[in-house]
Amino acid sequence: MNVTLNWLKAYIDFDFSPSELAERLTMLGIEVESVKQLGAGLEGVVVGKVDSIRPHPNADKLVLCQVDIGEVNALQIVCGAPNVCEGMFAPVATIGTKLPTGIIIKRAKLRDEESHGMLCSEKELGISDEAAGLMELSSDLSIGTPLTEALGLDDVIFELEITPNRPDCFSMIGVAREIRAETGNDLKLPQVDLQESEADIQERTSVTIDASDLCPRYAARVIRGVKIGESPAWLKQRLESIGVGVINNIVDITNFVLMEYGQPLHAFDYHKLSENRIVVRRAAEGEQITTLDEEERDLTPDMLVIADAEKPVALAGIMGGYDSEITETTCDVLLESANFQPSSVRATAKALGIHTEASYRFERGADPEAVIPALDRAAQLIVELAGGTICKGTIDVYPGKKEPYQIQLRAERVNFILGTELEATEIEQILSRLGFGVEVGQSEDIYQVTVPSFRADITREIDLIEEIARVHGYDNIPTTLPKGDIPIPTPNTSIEVHKRTKHFLLGTGMMESVNYSFNHPNCFDKIRLAADNPLRQALQLKNPLSPEMSVLRTTLLPSLLNNAQHNHNHQIDNIALFELSTVFIQREEPARVAGILAGEIGGGVYGSPYRSPDFFDVKGAVEGILDVCGITDYTFKKTEDPTFHPGRNAEVLLGNRRIGMLGEAHPKVLENYELPYKAYLFELDLEALADAADFSKRFEPIPIYPSVLRDLAIVVDEDMQSDMPIEIIYSTGGELVESVRLFDVYVGDQVPEGKKSLAYTITYHSATETLTDKAVNDLHDKVVKRLNQELGAELRM
Amino acid sequence: MKAELEAIQAEALAALEDVNSLDTLESLRIAYFGRKGKLTDVMKGMGKLSNEERPIIGKLANEVRAALTEAFEATKNALDNQQQEQQLEAESIDITLPGRKPAYGKAHPVMQTLERIQAIFTQMGFQVVTGPEVETEHYNFDALNTPSDHPARDLHDTFYLTDGHLLRTHNSPVQIRVMENQKPPVRIIVPGKAYRVDYDVSHTPMFHQVEGLLVDRHVTFSELKGVLVSFARQMFGDQTQMRFRPHFFPFTEPSAEVDISCTICHGKGCRSCGHTGWIEILGAGAVDPEVFRAVNYDPEEVTGFAFGMGVERIANLQFRIPDIRTFYENDLRFLKQF
Ligand SMILES: [Zn+2]
Repeated sequence: MNVTLNWLKAYIDFDFSPSELAERLTMLGIEVESVKQLGAGLEGVVVGKVDSIRPHPNADKLVLCQVDIGEVNALQIVCGAPNVCEGMFAPVATIGTKLPTGIIIKRAKLRDEESHGMLCSEKELGISDEAAGLMELSSDLSIGTPLTEALGLDDVIFELEITPNRPDCFSMIGVAREIRAETGNDLKLPQVDLQESEADIQERTSVTIDASDLCPRYAARVIRGVKIGESPAWLKQRLESIGVGVINNIVDITNFVLMEYGQPLHAFDYHKLSENRIVVRRAAEGEQITTLDEEERDLTPDMLVIADAEKPVALAGIMGGYDSEITETTCDVLLESANFQPSSVRATAKALGIHTEASYRFERGADPEAVIPALDRAAQLIVELAGGTICKGTIDVYPGKKEPYQIQLRAERVNFILGTELEATEIEQILSRLGFGVEVGQSEDIYQVTVPSFRADITREIDLIEEIARVHGYDNIPTTLPKGDIPIPTPNTSIEVHKRTKHFLLGTGMMESVNYSFNHPNCFDKIRLAADNPLRQALQLKNPLSPEMSVLRTTLLPSLLNNAQHNHNHQIDNIALFELSTVFIQREEPARVAGILAGEIGGGVYGSPYRSPDFFDVKGAVEGILDVCGITDYTFKKTEDPTFHPGRNAEVLLGNRRIGMLGEAHPKVLENYELPYKAYLFELDLEALADAADFSKRFEPIPIYPSVLRDLAIVVDEDMQSDMPIEIIYSTGGELVESVRLFDVYVGDQVPEGKKSLAYTITYHSATETLTDKAVNDLHDKVVKRLNQELGAELRM
Repeated sequence: MKAELEAIQAEALAALEDVNSLDTLESLRIAYFGRKGKLTDVMKGMGKLSNEERPIIGKLANEVRAALTEAFEATKNALDNQQQEQQLEAESIDITLPGRKPAYGKAHPVMQTLERIQAIFTQMGFQVVTGPEVETEHYNFDALNTPSDHPARDLHDTFYLTDGHLLRTHNSPVQIRVMENQKPPVRIIVPGKAYRVDYDVSHTPMFHQVEGLLVDRHVTFSELKGVLVSFARQMFGDQTQMRFRPHFFPFTEPSAEVDISCTICHGKGCRSCGHTGWIEILGAGAVDPEVFRAVNYDPEEVTGFAFGMGVERIANLQFRIPDIRTFYENDLRFLKQF
């Protein structure tokens, strides 16, 4: 909604500068999005008169004009416009002017002839796109007057953002009322003094409302003998200043009053209404109407129409019909001013895809009490500007009339809610400036507040409190800290697991990524999920932005693979990323952590080269996460999962509960994401981690007696799992084996074909004595013997 | 013999002056103190002296020996130091070579911002609570006093699922869920993702919000101001000014939009703040009584306030990324900057 400084000043006096007014309105809750000086850049442009014209000696298309701009000497200006003629009034940009289009006017020579300014087209002035010729000005204007003054461009436009609860502010008077709340000055409403003729409206038309649920009020006047023509300059200026197109005097008047009062009006050509009467009804099945925009519209029975005796002539509150519109030949006008039910207008406008100034206001709720003032104001303007006579009387069918709404307001409650110490008199003053009736109610502290008809948004005490806060000024409300008790928080293991996991992964050098929750449905094929995998049952969006964003994620892996692909496409191949997020599995939203290592990882600095990641990097990451969560009783088991390399994957188990997967991406998956190198992935269920997490650490005594280390290298079958010897070592040594650590795995020339060498460091320790060499040697020999007996392991020399 | 001892001392001290390596020092030491050394020889001759002379010469011999030992010691120390210095000099390195920085990860910039916001409110006693992102019309709109024909719904371009659910357009549904299950006092913040059908340089279809809710027997609008001013000072610096403008939200009343003084021009006016000196960062207000009724709280018994802010917007006040969709490309060159 745009308002202008001059237009507002027609309804209320105030001394605010444009920026002050913008500030005040903004702090009242009517956000001013921009303030624009109309005619900015036209300061050096004046009204000129072309006194004489002679040909340019050196150019066919140019002429030399002597232009009077009210100074002693006329200016010689070179001009090439086709419409330039002697006696013409046109805008002259004088030397030094910088036009809104950026052109700077300098003294110039055009083909050897001096030019002391520029005669301008509308386009050159930034007024319109009209560039065909000079802008023609009225010869009534006084020569030399600044153009801004001559055209009424010395005004300021405010672009307002009106919140949906304030339809009353979609008008000049509405905004003026807000200024009244700020200043306390009285409103200057238009004075209407109608001269009615003898002809009685009751004999010329009638209004029947057949759908009073959708039309609380319908009023009409008939004006006879109007002359359709152009609107006067002041009216055109008003409308153009806020960007409303000019059509003809009658339509312009209805638009003007709409902007003034916020009450949409419609003018019908009286003689084009069958039986010259109005019926407000729901559309009949199969009915059609051609609206003003010349579109044929199919109507349904839930749509409210304005009809004549036979057919719809307007879409109620939205747009008039083409057949009954005002034309050059119209002489009698039926002027409609009505009120329609918001949700009905909203539904019809939405169904037909028509959004107009009228529908915008009715959808949000117009003031039923503005119907008659706006109607009379328009009738008076029509008579003044288009001639004609007003039939005696108004037809006013008002089935939806309501008593003024009343609310009880407790003064004490105002301060209770706001934390203020407002006096009763301040509260009363604010409310009455806003147009509320305030009376002391049953007790001195309780007011009986009467809500004006234009404030349908105010229905409760809290609404009044907001009004008081707004006008008092939010900035004037004290700033204090909460006094209440801080509730005792409940412990949250999930948040702790999330935090620890993230810190651990960041410490390993992986970067955190955050992806959209959406994915392309083909991502499940790309990671080769089995046809019956329940992760394929993703929730689908009804209105996705694109196929890439049309299903909700059930796993984080496709997003991370996409990230790897994006980075690889940009020549970044040090891919170490993880993501912590919820996924969407039917009605559940479990949290997951997933990661990807691909390309080259590590420092990448001098002395710490990049290296290719492998299975044990992701396994280490998973083990680390489990460790920081205090989870120890997990196992890894090779499994069949088509996303992964069949020989290089593992599921992570807590007992029988599968809590995640890790491994090398299957080569076909790599192909699908166009990755030229191996990628290692993991994904864990954070909920399961939270269930199993154990943060209760206990002190264990630091050993008193020294440990003894023995290395052991054995040769075993190549396919033997490295944890089998470990189990035997522990079971043989019992409490005396403190730890067993695998430090080398070797396959190659040094060991027979089909065999591998495993090297362990065993730490022997007793909690009760210093172990002697002999005791350790005996035990170590036992270990070697059992490894040989049970696994066929040979000592490697 | 006395003269002989004095000559040896003078000669040895003179020879020490010329010693410039540990090797020559050692030869010199042998020449005087060795089994056949000059001083040793003299000492061997002591037996031939008379009883009177012996103590005198003996004392002198010991003095000479001590003096020479000390002088040898000093020369050796000097040579040791010299040698160490040479060695250290030879070990000098190019300290401009890069440090061997362990690879370390960085949290996503939006998450860094979210965690900062979270930490500030946690200090003020707000507990972190999360809730579902797939929601119902009831929790996302109706329970928040936004019935289906309410014009405010136009402001939310909602993603719907084919099963009739929707993706929450804000984190406010969690407030409802918490109040349904908890008696006042409530003091929570709700960080998390929200969704709207929007995709341009300043909008992503998924974004992050932090919403807060405080409900107690007597919570005032002035306390809402206090909490948010405290937040802004901690988040944006203690010089930050704050401005509360009346606004409209269906679920709060009175409602406010909250601006901070522009972080770039500090209120003077610049392009970033549209020459107003102010930047909008959040919406807030006193909880609307209808919202309390929807969760069976009695609005006469409790009052409260709620606020909500977009994390990307706040993050970008600092980072100034021209196209915020960049946040979700996860380009490593981008992620490593923060
Ligand atoms: Zn600024």
